[in-house]
Amino acid sequence: MSSAATPGEAERSRPESERSGAVLLLRQLVKSRTQAGSTFQLTVPELQVYPGEFVAIIGESGCGKSTLLDLLALISKPDSAASFQLTFSAGEAQDLAALWRYADETALAGIRRRWLGYVLQTGGLLPYLNVRDNLLLPRRINRMPPDHGRVLAMAQRMGVADCMPRRPDSLSGGQRQRVAVLRALTHSPRLVLADEPTAAVDRQRAHLIVRDLRSLARDEGLSVIMVTHDLDLVGSVADSSYGFELTQVTEHRIHSCLYREACR
Amino acid sequence: MSSGGGQSRRVFGLAAAHLRHEWILTLCLVSALAAVLAPLLILLGLKEGTIETLRDRLVQDPVYREIRPALTRTFDQQWLERLRQHPGVAFLTPTILPASSMLHLSGGAGENELIDLIPSAPGDPLLLENGGRIPLEGECVLSSEAARRLGVTTGAMVTARVTRSRAGHLETVQQSLVVVAVLSPRAGTLARVYTTLDFVEDVESYKEGRAVSSRGWGGDSARPYLSFDGVLVISRTPLDPIARTGLVVNTGLLKAEPMTQAAFTALTGLTLAEAWHAYDLSLPSGSVTFASISALQRKLRGRESLLLPYARRMRLRLPDAERALMGYSVSAAWAAKLSWPAAPWGELSANALNADRLLQILLPGDTADSGVALTVRFDGIEPLRFPLRAAGASGSQVALIPAELLGMLRTARDRVVSYRAESGGLLLERAGYRGFRLYARSIDDVPVLVEQLRRDGLEVVAAVEAISRIQVLDRGLTRLFWLIALLAVIGAGAVLIASLVAAVERERKDLGILRLLGLARTDVFLFPVFQGVMIALFGVALAWLGYLSLAEVINRLFGSELAPGQAICRLPESDSWVVLAATLLLALLSSLIAAWKATLIDPAEAIREE
Repeated sequence: MSSAATPGEAERSRPESERSGAVLLLRQLVKSRTQAGSTFQLTVPELQVYPGEFVAIIGESGCGKSTLLDLLALISKPDSAASFQLTFSAGEAQDLAALWRYADETALAGIRRRWLGYVLQTGGLLPYLNVRDNLLLPRRINRMPPDHGRVLAMAQRMGVADCMPRRPDSLSGGQRQRVAVLRALTHSPRLVLADEPTAAVDRQRAHLIVRDLRSLARDEGLSVIMVTHDLDLVGSVADSSYGFELTQVTEHRIHSCLYREACR
Repeated sequence: MSSGGGQSRRVFGLAAAHLRHEWILTLCLVSALAAVLAPLLILLGLKEGTIETLRDRLVQDPVYREIRPALTRTFDQQWLERLRQHPGVAFLTPTILPASSMLHLSGGAGENELIDLIPSAPGDPLLLENGGRIPLEGECVLSSEAARRLGVTTGAMVTARVTRSRAGHLETVQQSLVVVAVLSPRAGTLARVYTTLDFVEDVESYKEGRAVSSRGWGGDSARPYLSFDGVLVISRTPLDPIARTGLVVNTGLLKAEPMTQAAFTALTGLTLAEAWHAYDLSLPSGSVTFASISALQRKLRGRESLLLPYARRMRLRLPDAERALMGYSVSAAWAAKLSWPAAPWGELSANALNADRLLQILLPGDTADSGVALTVRFDGIEPLRFPLRAAGASGSQVALIPAELLGMLRTARDRVVSYRAESGGLLLERAGYRGFRLYARSIDDVPVLVEQLRRDGLEVVAAVEAISRIQVLDRGLTRLFWLIALLAVIGAGAVLIASLVAAVERERKDLGILRLLGLARTDVFLFPVFQGVMIALFGVALAWLGYLSLAEVINRLFGSELAPGQAICRLPESDSWVVLAATLLLALLSSLIAAWKATLIDPAEAIREE
């Protein structure tokens, strides 16, 4: 299914010193959390995501997926990072580590609003808005013109064009997730974070949704980081995938390290 | 990139969509708020309506706005004019002595009734608001009692007869008046006739013995009386202290001082020959009357002496110069004896006061044209302009006029003196008024005016008590209303706070999603605030609807006992805006806790829902 001609692959094949244009560049990031006396520490030696790339992060629950997502969604502050950059236009890297240092919440919220899309496990659609308004909400929040045509075309591709006037609670689980995926894309972000987007639907539908997300993202030229426990679900679509290596340091201390799995 | 704040319109739309989505809960909240507000509005409406109706009854009757002095006193024109300028005064007319204001009226049937005469003027609320109109010259308005006694109605002709007793004789004049209106009994139960102030003043003048030439009523002329600052005595023989004291006793004078030649010249401009002695007889304050001078003349009978009454600080303004002025009424014989100029008007006489004799002058220098119009100016009063006939030269720097004229002019320091060309003489204007009839602009102005007049030392009669009773009731009801309102506000505030906080708790996940979508903390802060405001708006609207319907029912039930235009339950337009603003403020304050809680919601909560 995947082709070798993705921009990410091309970049990755170059020597490291020449690499450029990564949407996300993460190096030596550490984040620890203490809960009920146990400390959990996540280390990310390196994570790079290129335009159009579909990155899968695979792990069981408790291995640090959520912690990583919080960091990527700019809602959790890293303890330290050698480099934490998002680059949405050439030569304009956003130094997130610095923004966190200055606690510039407004700038972080602004980046999140404009450049990131987020697909939640159960959709996260607002129950009091119909599907159309849910889909248009990110555009409206970004003060972009509604562009009904584009949204409708995307909805047709995702097969939810009929659902536009309906409220989320009248949709099936699969439709709801498809709408959720769409909502993460309508405002043309550069990086979509998907958190187990198919946890609530059956296997067959899950495969279809992931495939549609993959193809839509590629056509839109945006990168996707999808977190899942299901290797099988992403194995065929991911350009690269990462896993977690857990180490029980002491009784109350667990270290988790993100590593890159060899591509198939 | 950081097109940060200012998502308020978006948040408003979302908050509204949320309220619409949860419309049952919203309806409950709106109803709860309306259920608190509507009874408050009814209560406020009942208070306003009741007080307004009570006040209307007072407001509609000008009697409650009337203020008049409790005692008879003299009020001068300026004082009354100042009072008339007070912003709380709607109408003021001077009145005269009650004794001068009774006159006989007779209608067609020949009845002859003694009726109180009251002046009126344009704008008189007592007449205008009791079915009357303002009488013009030759017209009158009767109170209902007066009309009943006279047996006349509007349009009838009545005859007013004014009677006075002068020199032992009864004298009567009469005047026909058209009855242009009869007042409703509400205007008062006494028999009264209202006419122009001019007519009332003329009646007063006539009763006091003066003539009213414009009406052809005979009597004394209203000539200014004579007054002086002192009188100079010129004597051939010196007066020893005992003789001087003798002169002062029983003449109304207090001091008698010898005068040097220089002082005499300084005062009079005349030169006194060595052989003569001058004495200055005066009072430390007040005026020397002609009676004092007559008494002096009697005392000096047999002694070779001349009296020169004088007034200080009198100046004469000529077209081109200003001159000192001296009274000089001296017989030709005395003028010759003292080598002074001859006075064409002769010696001092209180009986020859005709204009021909008095309006003459001896001018300094020789530039005296006959019949020059001169302005005579005095210290401290309005300048008076009238023509004087130049009758010769004074031979000094001082202008000489008849001492009688000087005495009249000096009277103008205390009273208003005017010149009437038609009668060719000086006229003493009326001294002032003996009372007034005042109407305040509104009943609320009455206590203020009464307070001010009492501070000025004037005891007045006014219906202050009826007014203050209502004000006390108003204050009491207002206090009661605020107590109940306070209770209601606490209740409504608690309901709003609880439900808005509960809404934020229910909405944690959705608010977290909004944060994840990129809304700032300040944006989600607005979410409960907007919801509170919207609930308040609908609550006020519903409460107003409820109030309007219930007020209509109440007013129908009790409407039969009210005058048209009155209502038991009514709210002024402005109050609806006050209620709206107050409710919005309450909603705003109540939403603050919920808003603060909303800002604490972390976007991570949206992610970590399961």
